[in-house]
Amino acid sequence: MTSRRLSAFFQLTCLAALLALPAAAQVDRAKQIGGKFMCMCGCNQVLTQCNHVGCTVSTAMLKELDQRLARGESENVITQAFVQKFGTQVYAEPPKSGLSLVAWSLPTVYLIVGTALVIFVIWRWRARQHLQAAPVDAPAGMSPDTLDDVRRRVARETED
Amino acid sequence: MDVFGSFALLLAFVCAAYALVGGIVAIRTRHALLVKSARQAGIATCALIFLATFSLVYLFFSDSYWVAYVVTQSNRSLPTFYKIAALWSGQAGSLLFWSFLLSIYVFSVLLTYRNKNGELMPYVGVVMAGVQIFFLTLNNFVASPFKVLAAPGANGALDIFTRADGNGLNPLLQYPEMVIHPPNLYSGYTGFTIPFAFALGALLARYPGEKWIHLTRRWTMIAWCFQTVGILLGAHWAYAVLGWGGYWGWDPVENASLLPWLTGTAFLHSVMMQEKRGMMKVWNVWLVFVTFMLCILGTMLTRSGVVSSVHAFAQSSIGNWFLGFLILILVVCLAAYAKNRDYLKSENQLDSMISRESSFLFNNLILLVSCVAVLSGTLFPVFSEWLSGSRISVGKPFFDKVNIPLGLILLFLTGVGPLLAWRKTSTDSLKRNFGWPLVTGLMTGAIFFALGLREFYSLLCLILCVFVASTIGMEFFRGAKVIRARSGASLMTSAVDLTMRNTRRYGGYIVHMGMVLIFVGLSGAAFNKDVQKEMRPGSVAKIGRYDLLLQSVDSKPEPNYTSERLIVEVTKNSKPLMMLYPERRFFPANQESGTMVAIYSTLREDLYVVYAGRSPDNNEVPVVHAYLNPLVKWIWLGGVVVVLGTIVTLLPNRRAVLALSGAQQPAVAPSLSPSLQPQVTLREGHD
Repeated sequence: MTSRRLSAFFQLTCLAALLALPAAAQVDRAKQIGGKFMCMCGCNQVLTQCNHVGCTVSTAMLKELDQRLARGESENVITQAFVQKFGTQVYAEPPKSGLSLVAWSLPTVYLIVGTALVIFVIWRWRARQHLQAAPVDAPAGMSPDTLDDVRRRVARETED
Repeated sequence: MDVFGSFALLLAFVCAAYALVGGIVAIRTRHALLVKSARQAGIATCALIFLATFSLVYLFFSDSYWVAYVVTQSNRSLPTFYKIAALWSGQAGSLLFWSFLLSIYVFSVLLTYRNKNGELMPYVGVVMAGVQIFFLTLNNFVASPFKVLAAPGANGALDIFTRADGNGLNPLLQYPEMVIHPPNLYSGYTGFTIPFAFALGALLARYPGEKWIHLTRRWTMIAWCFQTVGILLGAHWAYAVLGWGGYWGWDPVENASLLPWLTGTAFLHSVMMQEKRGMMKVWNVWLVFVTFMLCILGTMLTRSGVVSSVHAFAQSSIGNWFLGFLILILVVCLAAYAKNRDYLKSENQLDSMISRESSFLFNNLILLVSCVAVLSGTLFPVFSEWLSGSRISVGKPFFDKVNIPLGLILLFLTGVGPLLAWRKTSTDSLKRNFGWPLVTGLMTGAIFFALGLREFYSLLCLILCVFVASTIGMEFFRGAKVIRARSGASLMTSAVDLTMRNTRRYGGYIVHMGMVLIFVGLSGAAFNKDVQKEMRPGSVAKIGRYDLLLQSVDSKPEPNYTSERLIVEVTKNSKPLMMLYPERRFFPANQESGTMVAIYSTLREDLYVVYAGRSPDNNEVPVVHAYLNPLVKWIWLGGVVVVLGTIVTLLPNRRAVLALSGAQQPAVAPSLSPSLQPQVTLREGHD
């Protein structure tokens, strides 16, 4: 191979790499942004995951997403455009503002309230246990019935 | 046959009404004959529902295209296999199927306890009859599967007419798993009616002690197991048929099946606190009530069209019936609780924060928080529409973010809980039980980190999986070692012996191990890869270590559909591996298409290839969508282990069987100390 050919090959390879890099980056961005939208065909799936045979809606939405990315639009602009076109239903997860904030806060509220409740219950049950603690020394003249009761209880509580 | 089926359903409704009213009168008058007749009416109801169901199946097999339901769900070329699945593929048939499965449970309960628990069973019978009446009302008057096709004739009267062929079954349902997934899931939903009936019956009857819990333990385990299998089969069906590369999309219908499973799981744990310590009586009763209500809510969500879902039946007014029933159940439960709440007085005492009791409380907390979070997320779009006029979607990313941390806390508790002692756990015991598992888990984490694993949740999940597996393994090892020292048998034989001596405990550990395997599988989702490519024959797509060469495209006519198939040669690290055949099927009867995914599955990863259609630009070049999904197989393996573990928990303890058979021999019985007799009885109930 002559040096001229080698140089041409090198230049072509660099050009291909330069062209391929943004294309690959755009595909990744499309996947990332598309993962934040729902497919509007009614399948209730994320846009990039809708794979219903013949779903024209997801194909059109993905095409629009690609075109907007190719035009260099930011994620914010694309999101606004999609929301304007399809309504708030297009969000795959509720935005962290306005009424949607309720959806995000509820699980945390449940967890905090629930944990507080469990801790309160444990505290109350422990306090009750201290109040009702039986004398430590076992009575010498324990009746057979009481002994059986105790045996049963011990067997029950130590079985598992 | 349609008239016979209709008549059987109507008669079943009358019998169920008698079982309900007769049962209530029998309870009030304590009339023994009336109690018996109400029970017999309950059995007759079940027999009549069986007949109605078999009538519908017969109508499918005989291609009776004058019955509207048969026309919409079947066609002549539909394989026999799927004609059975057609029974539950539509609204009316699936509701009859609900009644049918419920009848199997009711029939079994009425026969099993016909001469036992005389004080409780009339109440249980009344509750079960009440539930049956609701579904029979739907079967008879709202969504009858026996409606016929009719049109006004020449004389103005309606004439029945017959169609030449049916519309065919939904292509998405023409998959082997669809024949077993709905029966399993429905068996779970309907099965929770039994613990509900016993809990409500015991509350209404003020039935003493924990006996209702002992009576319903196996029924609850069976329902829970069916629900688990149903959920996993549904996930596998979604994975293999829908072709989006995943198995759980947090779809409202999927969520609806998960809700009762979460509360049911919470109940299976908290019930032990009532059995062992007499605690949590109110909580347990309400957990059963809520689980049953969530089963009804799930059925409502699937059928009402309140939430949009790919799985849901068409929108209909049937949701109002379910809502009414749900309100009725809530009112009855509240009234029963208000009237008899003193009966549920518990001996709630706690010796230490570090105890089995505390771990169960936290386990219930996490399961319930997850349940409420999933429920509120599922219903949020509806509420947002009511409040603001615009529907806000809540999809997979939201549910993943909320539930992954909760799932990991639960996984941690799975390892910790069973090894804590009742009442109080000493520091020595903590060190002994958790020292090595903790070290093993952390070492595994360090190894994975060193190997380049940086995904936080996946890394934490794998650490916890190893930790939990080690705690379970050590429990088996310690117990088996003691038995081996006594018997001289091998360690494996000793471990089996150990399991059979306390099936409930060690079966539970096996279930936990199954859950660990499922979590291992879930942790792989963070590393999924996919590639989509338009491929002409001869072109190659690369994903991970695999090269996919499209050799050719062929077309194959089948009786019920036409298949277009890609023939793909797979090479791994440049060595030939296998052929894959992803398909697209076109069903002429209903003019719909479906995919058949080709999967090469190993413990390490699944190569998942979808024929995603033709290029939208030229409608000629096939589009291949290939996914590389790590560790998915572990999820299905985990499911199998969970089922095996559940079966073990349902077996009687080996020692109990021996003790009972020994006690039946006259020569042995007198030698037993009187004080030991109650222990034998106790073990029988505590297996």
